[in-house]
Amino acid sequence: MEHQHKSSALLLGLLVFGALAVLTAVEFVFALKINLWQFLVLIPLIKAGLVLYYYMHISRLFEADLDANHESYAYKLLTNRIGLWLFLLSDAFIFGGLLLSRINLLGLMRPDLNQVLGLAVTSILLISSFFANRAEILMEFGERKQFILNISITIGLGILFLVGVVGVEWRLAPFGPADSIQGAIFYVMTGFHAFHVLTGVIFLTIVLRNGSRGLYSAEKHWAVEASVVYWHFVDVVWFFFYPALYLIGTLAK
Amino acid sequence: MRKFFSLGLVRGLLWQILGTAIGIGILTGIRQLLGLAPWKPEPAMVFGALLGAMFFLYGVGVLNDWIRVAAGKEIQEHIDETGLGWRRYFGASLDHKVIGIQYLTLSLVLMVVGGTFALIFRSELATTGMQFLTLMEYNTLMSLHGIVMIVGILVGIAAFMNYLVPMLIGARDMSFPRLNAFAFWLAVPAGIILLSSLVLGGFDTGWTGYPPLSVRAPIGMQMFFLGISLAGFSTILGSLNIIVTIIRQRAPGMIPFRMPIFVWASIATSIISLTATQLIGLSFQMVMFERLFGMGFFDPGKGGNPILFQHLFWFYSHPAVYVFVLPGLGLISEMLPVFARKPLFGYKWVAISSIAIALIGFLVWGHHMFASGMAEYLRVPFMYSTLLVAVPTGVKFFSWLGTLWRGKITYETPMLFLLAGIVVFLLGGLTGPPNATISTDLHLTDTYFIVGHFHDTMFGGYVFPFFAAIYYWFPKMTGRRLNEKLGKLHFWLMTPAFIVLSLAMMRVGMLGMRRRIGDYDPELNFVIDHKIMTVAAFIIALGVLVFLINVFWSIRKGEVATGNLWNSRSPEWQVPSPMPMHNYEKPFEVVGEPYDYGLPGSVYVKFKESE
Repeated sequence: MEHQHKSSALLLGLLVFGALAVLTAVEFVFALKINLWQFLVLIPLIKAGLVLYYYMHISRLFEADLDANHESYAYKLLTNRIGLWLFLLSDAFIFGGLLLSRINLLGLMRPDLNQVLGLAVTSILLISSFFANRAEILMEFGERKQFILNISITIGLGILFLVGVVGVEWRLAPFGPADSIQGAIFYVMTGFHAFHVLTGVIFLTIVLRNGSRGLYSAEKHWAVEASVVYWHFVDVVWFFFYPALYLIGTLAK
Repeated sequence: MRKFFSLGLVRGLLWQILGTAIGIGILTGIRQLLGLAPWKPEPAMVFGALLGAMFFLYGVGVLNDWIRVAAGKEIQEHIDETGLGWRRYFGASLDHKVIGIQYLTLSLVLMVVGGTFALIFRSELATTGMQFLTLMEYNTLMSLHGIVMIVGILVGIAAFMNYLVPMLIGARDMSFPRLNAFAFWLAVPAGIILLSSLVLGGFDTGWTGYPPLSVRAPIGMQMFFLGISLAGFSTILGSLNIIVTIIRQRAPGMIPFRMPIFVWASIATSIISLTATQLIGLSFQMVMFERLFGMGFFDPGKGGNPILFQHLFWFYSHPAVYVFVLPGLGLISEMLPVFARKPLFGYKWVAISSIAIALIGFLVWGHHMFASGMAEYLRVPFMYSTLLVAVPTGVKFFSWLGTLWRGKITYETPMLFLLAGIVVFLLGGLTGPPNATISTDLHLTDTYFIVGHFHDTMFGGYVFPFFAAIYYWFPKMTGRRLNEKLGKLHFWLMTPAFIVLSLAMMRVGMLGMRRRIGDYDPELNFVIDHKIMTVAAFIIALGVLVFLINVFWSIRKGEVATGNLWNSRSPEWQVPSPMPMHNYEKPFEVVGEPYDYGLPGSVYVKFKESE
């Protein structure tokens, strides 16, 4: 019974990942063929909804308390979840402000960026989200070794994303931060996002270290859940940043 | 001596100095390695200040438990700090009451500093021509007065939210005590960095820091941006904690419509601080990047847009005034029934009005930009959304009048400050709509009328209720009450002087006095008004001085007051003062309405006899 439950949870993660991958591909192809910005706003919203519901488990916030004792682990767990989500809400306002600045300053223009690289880093982050989800599910079933493997892959992909954006894309971009408004917006958006990816990688690494020392169990693994939810959030932000920087509008000169 | 260096605050400050030096060194070294000219003051100072703030937090000890958790070690759940005595007020305490008093002290310090700046440039304005300040010094003091007072108010509302909310809802502490301590101690280096702009060339933009002027101002500008970004982060974390605590830690039976009004006000305030603060942080950081890296967000020459800054800035900075006044208005509603001995009139409507003001507050920011070149079609919607704020605010006034009507009013010092708060806030409220209405605002923009208006709202919505709350809860904090005679002297010095000051500000504003300028034309015929304002400002300062003397005297020698001094129904007054370490020894249950004063037989809280 438990085995079945676990495999169905892992299967669901895979299905959601498949849907996200297809949507990303559709988004990319559509942007090249018919560049309708409405469409490029709609797709990230659907993707974000999928991740919020299936990967980040937003519905857990609305579960009733099973234990009314304020000092119990179960009660504190929900308190922690609400705290984390409020932090993400607050953080979302920074990214929202960056998106609005981009719309205000660039409108229906986009900076001249390497499309292949953009799609590659987007895919890397998406795949890392899939493995983060697996890591969390495996921890819920107490499979520590599998958990360690999956979270290590997540961290590796996160570092790869950072290298791709900061190490490669920042060098390949045909403008510096001071050259044009496209440059300013590109560096500030990717910079803020990369900073969050970096903190996420550090957070996941701490969880990996403590997890490999056996500090988390199937019942008590709030730190694992928190780091994974944060990681998904960083991915959701990129769902919006990717079309905003690479796809929407016509190429700026 | 050794004891002195073991104080968290002292260690923090030493670490901050060290961190700043290391930061400057690292940045200079990196520039050397990159082959650039090694010494460039601006990036070095910014990086140094940022690293200094981080080192401060480490030195003060608020990161220790988190480092232990990250290293996989156990931490203590509830720490009993009673053995530390007064020393815990100078270190990283986790007790919400200690943190509340720490916030309160920091707030008073900042407001005294900000007030002193005001006295200096107010003296300069007493007559035309420049007397003893240069124009740049005037601009710096005027700008710092604004922003230091704002940070002081933010810290002050955090003081009362921290001190009162867990007690009012029957919690033993905040939901996240370590985050609470972190948020407080982040405000300290933020304040230091902000004030350090005084010695780094100052800045001449006013507290709004509009580009393009702020892109060209001296390095002091960067310290202003960095200090406010850090202070903003501190309020974000503080308000997150307040919201979670109110959602999760309420006593049994405290359904939303039995929460004290101050708790409603706190949650309304925290919704704004939690979300909108990020945008002022973002706008300030974007100017910082424009200065450091040449990114042209607000430079039209590079395709940027200076109006964008104003949108991002006011998206927070207008709701911020509701952050400042909502807790104060909540405090008025909280205390008024106690002194009127009558139920709060229209409890539910008052509770909802706080939330309504907060939510409408998100939609009104454009009224600061009627004269700034914002798209014209935005003007009328912003005018109406702004005028809409008057509706829930009117609900509050109606409730206060209904509460006072035929009450058995007694006039202790807190009550005097409450009544003055209502009157002054009414003045501020009535002078608001002329600024929200486009046709009149185009005439009043950037005049002293605006200055008078917002000083009325800040004093009525924050300063007077804040003093009332200190007089009211001081016995709860210390077990002694503040001297009544000195309190009344404080009141009678401050209130008439303030009303004269703010009305004179509006008068000269309508006669053509521009705000934020160090000199004015004697032909405008209001030199005498400026002299009166200067005298009034000093009388207010005298009142505050009387208050500070009162605090220092009463803390040692004041009349002992450990019981229910004001005959309140609120749970914190049902136990002896000062509060024990983890608040209530016996938990309580809410069984009735909070403000049913004077109704025989009504009960609000019932303490459990044995646990």
